[in-house]
Amino acid sequence: MAGFDINKYRQMFLEEAEEIFETIDTILLEAEETNSMDNETINSLFRSVHTLKGNSASVELALFAALAHEIEFFMDRLRTGELSFEESMAGLLIESIDTLKEILELELSDELEQGYYNSTKCALLEKLDAFSEESHEVQILIEHQVEEQKDDFGLLLPMDEEGAFGPISGTVEVDAFGLFDDEETLPASEVSDDGFGFFDEETPEAVAAEDDGFGFFDDEIPISSPKIEDDDHFGFFDDIPTSVEKHIDEIKIVHDDTVVEEAKSSKKFKPESASNSIRVDLSKIDGLMNNIGELVIAHSMLTQYTSTMEDQKIKSDLSERLDLIDRHIRELQESVMSVRMVPMETVFSKFPKVIRDTAKSLNKKIDFRHTGESVEIDKAMIEGLTDPLMHIVRNAMDHGIETPEVRRKAGKHESGTLMMSAEQANGQMIIKIQDDGGGINLTRVTAKALENGVIDDHQASQMTKEEKAMLIFAPGLSTAEAVTAISGRGVGMDVVMSNIKKLGGTVKVDTEEGYGSTFTIALPLTLAILDGLTIRIGAEQFILPLSVIIESLNPEAQMIKQIGDNTSEVLMLRNEFIPVVRLHTIFNVKPDHEKLTDGLLIVVRSATQKIALFVDEFMNQQQFVIKPLDRNFRNAHGIGGATVRGDGTIGLIIDTMNIMNKY
Amino acid sequence: MAKILIVDDSNMLRDMVKYALNEGGYPDVTEAVDGVDGLAKARATVFDLIVSDINMPNMNGFEMIVELRKLPAYAKTPILTLTTEKNDDMKAKGKAVGATGWIVKPFVPEQLLKAVGIVLSR
Repeated sequence: MAGFDINKYRQMFLEEAEEIFETIDTILLEAEETNSMDNETINSLFRSVHTLKGNSASVELALFAALAHEIEFFMDRLRTGELSFEESMAGLLIESIDTLKEILELELSDELEQGYYNSTKCALLEKLDAFSEESHEVQILIEHQVEEQKDDFGLLLPMDEEGAFGPISGTVEVDAFGLFDDEETLPASEVSDDGFGFFDEETPEAVAAEDDGFGFFDDEIPISSPKIEDDDHFGFFDDIPTSVEKHIDEIKIVHDDTVVEEAKSSKKFKPESASNSIRVDLSKIDGLMNNIGELVIAHSMLTQYTSTMEDQKIKSDLSERLDLIDRHIRELQESVMSVRMVPMETVFSKFPKVIRDTAKSLNKKIDFRHTGESVEIDKAMIEGLTDPLMHIVRNAMDHGIETPEVRRKAGKHESGTLMMSAEQANGQMIIKIQDDGGGINLTRVTAKALENGVIDDHQASQMTKEEKAMLIFAPGLSTAEAVTAISGRGVGMDVVMSNIKKLGGTVKVDTEEGYGSTFTIALPLTLAILDGLTIRIGAEQFILPLSVIIESLNPEAQMIKQIGDNTSEVLMLRNEFIPVVRLHTIFNVKPDHEKLTDGLLIVVRSATQKIALFVDEFMNQQQFVIKPLDRNFRNAHGIGGATVRGDGTIGLIIDTMNIMNKY
Repeated sequence: MAKILIVDDSNMLRDMVKYALNEGGYPDVTEAVDGVDGLAKARATVFDLIVSDINMPNMNGFEMIVELRKLPAYAKTPILTLTTEKNDDMKAKGKAVGATGWIVKPFVPEQLLKAVGIVLSR
């Protein structure tokens, strides 16, 4: 039979590993903060690393698995109480997990060099081993108590519940029920490197009977312990000797404890019991959504057809039933939408680790708080949202929040506060990132914008405080005197803006010098449906997203100015010059009106720019199901997507960002 | 046709085991994500074989096997455990809870099928 499709499983492993890493990070950050780790936490950590080890070995990531084994080994010592938790341990474990992530990335991309791996592993082991020396006293104590149980290397190797020590464990005995195979007690040196058990690496002595890679409990040889009469070699529950039954009770008790502890401990980092949920590929839900879109279209076709019917009786009966179908379709649409929604916690959980690391490297103290974890967001948005949020957060930590000294001098608390919140309001998702740092120096931002030619003197003198703050989203603007590794050199805030725009959202910044800044991001609740305005240019209709529209007007002649060699037109609106874009030239259609005063201008905006789009007429305003453009059409200037209208025709959705970029 | 239940918290490993079983001529495979789920599914349908991971949240494989063996329908059903380790402790516990055998992870499909073939033919 064919072997496994290793690439497919590596991808699956990667997805699971990301989740596991996130869980581990959450646990460790909490441990670092509270400077403690209870048994349940340690068990949970151990289990996570154990899974990483086992699964990575299954997808042939041998080096990653070996490193995971070392960390697992360390955690096992914590778990068994051989090591006790110390203050610096959480930090070191965080570092270890970071190393693990790095190795995973390198090994996956096939860029991991043996030399680098060896030195990384050695450096890590050295740090992990340092704890053994520190807890030397404890160890000696235990060694005295169980001296006879030492293995050949003088290391204590307590057994774990699930035999996590692999090949080495044959050498020790802390086993509660004494099934202990003397025959397999061989020098740990022969096997102890082999923490993850590839079949071809097995030492023949240890596994003489297991070359198959599997075994049956009833044909096992090692039942040589005198503690259990194990004549039955069948291992069925009914036949199990009493001493083993006792063990079963123990297992049961352990389980009960776990349940109680689980109930007690915060559910924050506990993966919820997945027994009532299934994992579904997002593309399947997208497919479902698409089908509903088709249904909506078919429904409106039918409605349109009905309106042309002559028999009034049939017409009204049919309309009534169509209304019913319409209601069901809407409900179906809502149900499918709700499937795509995930809690904001998924987004928030990515931050504590980054904030901790960044704060450390900047020598700043930062208290991260968040609210609105349970607010739901379209899963498809998370990817597009994480990067911009990360950038704003890094920027706030780097340029916003001051060092403890500066803060003390300013009469503030030593540690800065970074607050992230999410809420749903007016059919939008509102995400705020608030810091209590120094705020944005508007004078400097304005000066920089003038210097870069983003604005001119006249514009600068007319700008409100809010507008000046928005300048930080202009390309190439960085006021930081020293460019830092954290938030870079002003490449970024403009990317933040364009990423948010891509999601159909807006960003706003409020800042008060000395008191901090607040970034407010407003997003549509879903990417799949758009509120749009249909506009007409000649015989063609297009759809303009409502979110970008500021106002529309029928201009008077004196509002239009010609600039350059009369090649460009601008709209003068309340002392502001707004470039006019004739959509008919972009889309190459013949308009009804050539004179601006005969048609309509729609003012649309991005963060720093406004343009006025010239159109012939507004049509209706409605919701559209967005369909992506086929690859061949993605470069179409000014068009961002498509939709199917009620009458079955295709509607093109205008991408105003794309148009602005050309002006 | 043998009905087989796979219990593993890793989507990837469930998929690997399922793939190997399907390729090996066992199309009737059900998946469960942890011991609790496995137990529930085993109660709802009688399976001819259970392949279970040990290290799982909510209820681990050993705990699940203990519970399964209490059910008359599963008193003699073969249960294979998937394990990263193959030390004596694992073996002793596996035997103690009443598991039939173990398969070491990572496994190759042929090994899994060989083990499955043996237990199903007994």
